[in-house]
Order: sequence, then structure tokens, then C-alpha cells
Amino acid sequence: MQLQDKRRVAILSAYALALHGFESLLPTPIPWLKPGLANIITLVALILYGFRTALMVTLIRVLLASIFIGTFLGPAFILSTGGGIASVIAMGLSVKFFKNLFGTIGLSLIGALFHNIAQLSLAYYLFIQRIEAVFIISPFILLIGSLTGIINGVISDILIKNLLKINDEKIQNVAQ
Amino acid sequence: MKETIKNTTLADRLLFLLLISLSIAGIFISRDALSQGSDVIIEINGKPSYTLPLYSDRLLSVSGPHGNTLIETKGGKVRVKEAHCRNQICVKEGWISKGVIVCLPNKLVIIVGGSKKDQQQGIDAITG
Repeated sequence: MQLQDKRRVAILSAYALALHGFESLLPTPIPWLKPGLANIITLVALILYGFRTALMVTLIRVLLASIFIGTFLGPAFILSTGGGIASVIAMGLSVKFFKNLFGTIGLSLIGALFHNIAQLSLAYYLFIQRIEAVFIISPFILLIGSLTGIINGVISDILIKNLLKINDEKIQNVAQ
Repeated sequence: MKETIKNTTLADRLLFLLLISLSIAGIFISRDALSQGSDVIIEINGKPSYTLPLYSDRLLSVSGPHGNTLIETKGGKVRVKEAHCRNQICVKEGWISKGVIVCLPNKLVIIVGGSKKDQQQGIDAITG
């Protein structure tokens, strides 16, 4: 890995970490109901710099955030790790196999969906073990996840467009 | 913002519609499945005495002032098979999958759709 890549991963991880930390301070009606703002950074990393960067950013973010917030190795840590990895893998596979099918918003939706699926199944196997409880809450979680997925997708799309624009201007300046 | 929404692909929109409709449908389906309940609660003299799983084939005999009453559960339904009261209202009610069968002479109430909430017949609130 080159120095530039390392720097990129570090900056993206810092952004993701800040969003994750900010999100954990937001008051929510249900404790583990979060908008998943850090997924914006994951998505940007995935689209601009590829799968490996996105996975690394997610892993660093989940690990460091849990240490800072104080949930390291606790149930919340296991859930957010599983959800983060699942969503990165799902989005990465979608980029690879359906390259022109899904836009940024579609990818964000896929990420949110798999994040929730992974969390629900982990919560079921490890903590709840009552299928009817999972059955009742999962539609709500999927609905809210889709709505926040749309919002995150829109933000990511705007961010990616602006980043590309800045990049183009830089290249033009260098060329002149 | 407008541009972003305009630039979504067909697959994006289909995925969004699918997810939203599936989850809204899921909310109603799960609520429906829940309201049916999976337990039969048998109350004698106003006290919950027996709890049977609805999805099992069983025959239960409950004694009351007018002799034994035979309650049968089968395939998600429950009925009073035999009772020795005069009106036989409970027997005539037949198989039910939700709701209540009441046999007044035997002081017997059979409730279907009991979740844990129905069993807690505590006090709602105390004032003063």
C-alpha cells in the first residue's frame, strides 16, 4: 500500500469516526436506532477508491469508535462490526457485479438493507433468541433503514460529485 | 439535490419501492400474526388455570359445577367438545381460532390469542 493510499484511508477513517461519534450522541426513540451516517464515508470510499479502502475504513471506524464510546467487545460492538462488514461486502459485490445497474442511492439502500439484516440475525442468534420478537421489529427497522439509506445515498452522491469536480479542477490547473 | 434524484437509475427506484412496500406489508403481516396469538388460556372462576399451546392436538378435561367439560385443541383451533350444561352454548360455538368461548354454568372462559400481556391482569394505575 502506497503512502497516498494510507493517507487517504486515515482521512476517510477520521471522517467516518467523527460521524459515528456524533451519531451516538444523537437522541433516538429506540436505543439502537441510528441513521448510519458513517455509511456515507464508506460509500464514498467504495465508489472513489475501491472495495479494499472501504473495508479498511469501516473496520478502523468500528474498532476505534467502540473504544472511544466505550462499547468495545460488548453487544453493541459485535452488532456494529457485523453490520458494517456485511454492508461493505454487499455494496462491494453490487458494484462489482451490477456495475451500471445501481446508482449511489441504490448502493446506499443495499448497504442499509444488509447492515440491518446482519444486525438482526446477529441479535437473534446471540442475544434475543425469540423469533417472534425479531419478526415484529424487523419490518420497522427495514422501513426506517430504507428511509435513512435514501438520505445517506443523496448526501453521498452530492459529496462524490463535488469531490470529482474538485479533482478535475486540480488536474486542469496542473495541465495549464 | 434535484439533479441527484433525477440521476437515479431504474434499479434504484425499483429497489426503493420494493423495500418500502415489503416493510410496510411486513408491519401489517406481523401484527396480524401476533394478534392471533398462540396460546389458549382457560379461566375457571375468573382465574387463569390452564394455558395450552394452540398449535397442538390435545384434549383437556376441566371439572366444574356441572361435571367435566371436554376442551379440544387441534390445528390452531379450539372448541368445547362436550359439556354437561343445559344450554350447550359453548359446544354450539364450535371451532374458533380467535376470540372467546364462555360457559357460564361451569364458570369457564376459554380465551384464544392470549399473549403474555393478557395474562397480566394487574392494576393499571393507583392515584392518591
